[in-house]
Amino acid sequence: MKFLCVQCDEAMKITETKGPEDGSLAVVFGCPTCRRQVAMLTNPMETQMVRSLDVKIGGQQAPHDPMAFVRSSLAVKREEVPSPSEPSPTGLGCPFTSIANSAFERQGLIGGAIWTEEAAERLNNIPSFVRSWAQRGIEQYARENGCQRITVEVMEEARQRFGM
Amino acid sequence: MKTYGDIPGDAGSDVLGQVNAQQERLRARMARIHAKVAVLSGKGGVGKSVIVANLAAAFAEGGLRVGVLDADINGPSLGKMLGVRGQRLAFETAGVQPALGPLGIRVLSMDLFLPSDETPVLWTGPTEGGGYLWRGAMEAATLREFLADTEWGELDMLLLDLPPGTDRIPSLLSLLPELHGIVIVTLPSQVSQLIVAKSVTMAKEIVKAPILGLVENMAAHRCAHCGAEEALFAGEDSAQMAERLAIPFLGRVPFDPVLTRCADEGTPVLLSHPTAPAAQALSRIAAKIGEALHRAPALAEAKESP
Repeated sequence: MKFLCVQCDEAMKITETKGPEDGSLAVVFGCPTCRRQVAMLTNPMETQMVRSLDVKIGGQQAPHDPMAFVRSSLAVKREEVPSPSEPSPTGLGCPFTSIANSAFERQGLIGGAIWTEEAAERLNNIPSFVRSWAQRGIEQYARENGCQRITVEVMEEARQRFGM
Repeated sequence: MKTYGDIPGDAGSDVLGQVNAQQERLRARMARIHAKVAVLSGKGGVGKSVIVANLAAAFAEGGLRVGVLDADINGPSLGKMLGVRGQRLAFETAGVQPALGPLGIRVLSMDLFLPSDETPVLWTGPTEGGGYLWRGAMEAATLREFLADTEWGELDMLLLDLPPGTDRIPSLLSLLPELHGIVIVTLPSQVSQLIVAKSVTMAKEIVKAPILGLVENMAAHRCAHCGAEEALFAGEDSAQMAERLAIPFLGRVPFDPVLTRCADEGTPVLLSHPTAPAAQALSRIAAKIGEALHRAPALAEAKESP
């Protein structure tokens, strides 16, 4: 399944996933050009269909864990059968969300804006306690100035503008 | 406006790449197994699993390294028949170490994941609704994981015990296109033969799978007192049926209470009562399968030729 921004004639990318909550998975797609977003909301049966295919929405990043599908899918299993080790960097415990978010970052899409690889690397070099503040300021500068992508040059302009 | 084919890849999930990675893991694991043989019927209750347990014992006794995969996800019984239900699976990075049955037979069954006799296979999920749509996919993914993620090691033979259903053959072949052969089990009853004939057609005509032969189970009952044999069913002679369907006939296994008692006790009759008529019949059938497997490359080549 692919999503197309009709206005821009541009393929949309996954920017965020949420859930599953109450059996529903939300997958948000964004247009890289106009940043318009749409969300695909699944009903419980559709969520289960996706799950039964043993593929990860947003891409598989975790190293292969033997029989992770069976172990995570059985409602009742022996005590000694361990649960699979799913990475959960967000602490939300949801493989759909964490993996999708990781994929999102890998593509250079951070917080709904498009960052070049070089710019994203530079953002990561900013001390963590001011990083989110700097990110919001740079993205605001990019939006106000019609920048489609956040490059190192845009970062530098924003830095000069805000005196960062 | 762009069409589906104009857009490379997907929106970031790389589903195709994930599926390819799954298949590659399966291919790499199966490459270390010389012969993969499926035992099926199409019809339930014909004694496939007890035949599988004893064929595995026969091959292991012959010095082969044997693995058994209980592909009956919802009705697993091989764990009990091979006496491994109490064993714990070891989950390691390279794969899951299977249970070890008699003569070192490596066994993987859903039974080894379930906590009690009464526990059925229940899947986590937000709904039981539409189960007819997604349960098949869950079972297929489970079977793929059982094949690909079990640390079978180097094996001479992997026997797969398939659940009832003529649709199991194409499903298995889509996972294991290099399957070396299929053994089909029937009872000498008209009802069983009616379904089994469909399985033969599916295997032979539709998916062109190599059939090693037909086994007749519960062929006749021998009186423990006078030794007289009495037919239990009134179907077509299975040897004639095999001839009619143009497949090899591998032999008959007599109905023998010792066979079922041994299955309940978790010991193949072939090991505990090697002189029992059923044990001897199973030994002869295993020998014929071994002979047929020597011809398997020719079967595989025939499958590839136009």
